[in-house]
Amino acid sequence: MDSRPSVLIVDACEENREVLRTALEHRGMRTLATGKAKSGLELAREHHPDLIVLDLEVEATNDAELAAPFAEQSRTDRSPLVLLGTVRRRPPHPEGEFIAKPYHYGPLLRRIEELLDTV
Amino acid sequence: MPSLFVIRGSDQGTRYELEEAILRLGRDKSSTIHIHDTEVSRNHAELRRTHRDYTVSDLNSSNGTFVNGKRIEQHVLVSGDQVQVGATLMLYTGPADDSSGGIGSSIDVAAAPLSDDQSRIIHSVTQQEGSRIFDSQVDLPQNSFLARARSNLQVMYRTALAVSHTLDIDQLLNRIMELIFEWVEADRGCIMLFDANNRKLEPRVRRTRQESDRGDRISISKTILDFVLERNEGVLTSDARQDDRFNPGASIVKLGVREAICVPMQGRYHVVGAIYIDTSISPQEVLERGGQSCKFTEDHLKLMIAIGHQAALAVEDTRYYSAMVQAERLAAIGQTIATLSHHIKNILQGIRGGSYLIEMGLTEHDESIVAKGWNIVEKNQNKISELVLDMLTFSKEREPDLMTADINSVVAEVVELMQARAAELNVELRLVPDATMPKLVFDPEGIHRALLNVVTNGIDAVAETERPGSVEICTRYLPERSLVQIEVRDTGAGIPADHMDKLFSPFVSTKKNRGTGLGLPVSQKILSEHGGQIGVQSTPGEGACFTFELPAVAPPQSSTQIIEPPAG
Repeated sequence: MDSRPSVLIVDACEENREVLRTALEHRGMRTLATGKAKSGLELAREHHPDLIVLDLEVEATNDAELAAPFAEQSRTDRSPLVLLGTVRRRPPHPEGEFIAKPYHYGPLLRRIEELLDTV
Repeated sequence: MPSLFVIRGSDQGTRYELEEAILRLGRDKSSTIHIHDTEVSRNHAELRRTHRDYTVSDLNSSNGTFVNGKRIEQHVLVSGDQVQVGATLMLYTGPADDSSGGIGSSIDVAAAPLSDDQSRIIHSVTQQEGSRIFDSQVDLPQNSFLARARSNLQVMYRTALAVSHTLDIDQLLNRIMELIFEWVEADRGCIMLFDANNRKLEPRVRRTRQESDRGDRISISKTILDFVLERNEGVLTSDARQDDRFNPGASIVKLGVREAICVPMQGRYHVVGAIYIDTSISPQEVLERGGQSCKFTEDHLKLMIAIGHQAALAVEDTRYYSAMVQAERLAAIGQTIATLSHHIKNILQGIRGGSYLIEMGLTEHDESIVAKGWNIVEKNQNKISELVLDMLTFSKEREPDLMTADINSVVAEVVELMQARAAELNVELRLVPDATMPKLVFDPEGIHRALLNVVTNGIDAVAETERPGSVEICTRYLPERSLVQIEVRDTGAGIPADHMDKLFSPFVSTKKNRGTGLGLPVSQKILSEHGGQIGVQSTPGEGACFTFELPAVAPPQSSTQIIEPPAG
């Protein structure tokens, strides 16, 4: 079993996935990535990643509805959930770590590392 | 400013302000007043300023120019004239009296009774009574009553007509003042409106019958004005003293009599202002009338109340309409900003990601990461330039840059440009060019842009389904209809029926993260600049087909000679 922490990235934008994957893998993490909420949830249930990064704009549904199954999965797995979204539509999810777009990668990556350290 | 307001025809609702001394009216694009009416000749008529008004002259148009229903060669327009060319009917409004500022300084509301003003209220009529002007009055001889009723009815009709054709309050009030002056022997008049913000009464229109009276200040007693506005009743005042009336030695004979009518402008909800008119009767006239100094009668007062009511309704209407237009405009701007900022935010996110990778690669001395980052930055740079070009195309009134070119090679360029992206998303991109396509005159850059937007949409639509699919582009030359078609058919999810009507509305995007909402509106604009159009057909679940149709314009003969000069 690989001891490196794993991160699942769910973001519709291919470039954003690419940047996060490159940066996280460079920091010694394993990554899984997808551009769809549905396949993201399947990956989460199958691989139980140590952390999930979910872009709330991945689908046109409302944020709370989109985040709910991911939040449930993160509770089950005791793995942190990082939500990327617009401040205006911040969803009522206390369990998710919310980061407003457009974000800077430095602080986002540091936050991911901190969250993984506490797990 | 004089104006022509289109009350019927394809330009209905347009108001042309007449600024220049000579204006051409016609279907030709270069006309000052460009009418979109096929029954109008290219150079149909001319408007020439004469003194303050305009004279309209027909320029040998095929269908003629009509003023108030009569065919004319030349006609001096007066306010209220209806000008008809082809199927287009326009209402002429002449220049306003004292239109430019400084009205406020020439009208006083006197708080204290003026020293020489002996005015008192003779009659007052309530709103209810005022609207009963057409009630039968038994004490009047039938004929005279009928004649007067008919004339009153006509005034009311013309007031209604005047107020229904303009959205400019000052123009409307000017027109009403003009009607009042036509009908009653007033010397001076003004209309005051409550300012929407501070509820202060502001004079908006002032009119005098005599040129020499222009400089006069109109003094309105505050007592009378307050009475009118508070009680919401119209008043008729005279400064003639009852007991002096039949005494030729008294002051009226020396100074004359001033009579005034002041009525509230009662709208649906509020009193929006007041109309005031007055008249002076010279001592001589008083004597001639055998002491009967009254020019203004109770009938005048009643009709004035009715006019005031009508005008107030129109003022309210206009205000509510402008407020509504303003609200709609703000909503549209809000929508535009929301869509644009969303798109720009995503581009910014991409640039931050790319820059982050470049920085990381430089720190780690890993060139592959730098290259990856640079690639992302470059892509987003392109997105910004695409967005800016779309915004420019959409916002500017532009003429297509016409030249002789090959449709097939423009289409092939687009296909080549998009091939990589299509392959990346696993979408097959096919081109089926019509081999018989001749070289034609069009704007190759414009058509390139228009097609690029539609092909990008097609590829995105197929990629979205996550099924293998294709986008097929074919060109067709239809010489019998002198038409060129470019068809883009995709096997995406199709367009839901309820999206069809918003398809070409700017800043409405169904692509949540990628769309600017400008692609299709820009394509449509380019096609219509060419005199062409875009057709859409879609079966939800099976895909969509966009068809560009543009007129096939053959290159002029001479241009070939210029390009290929005879050898030797």
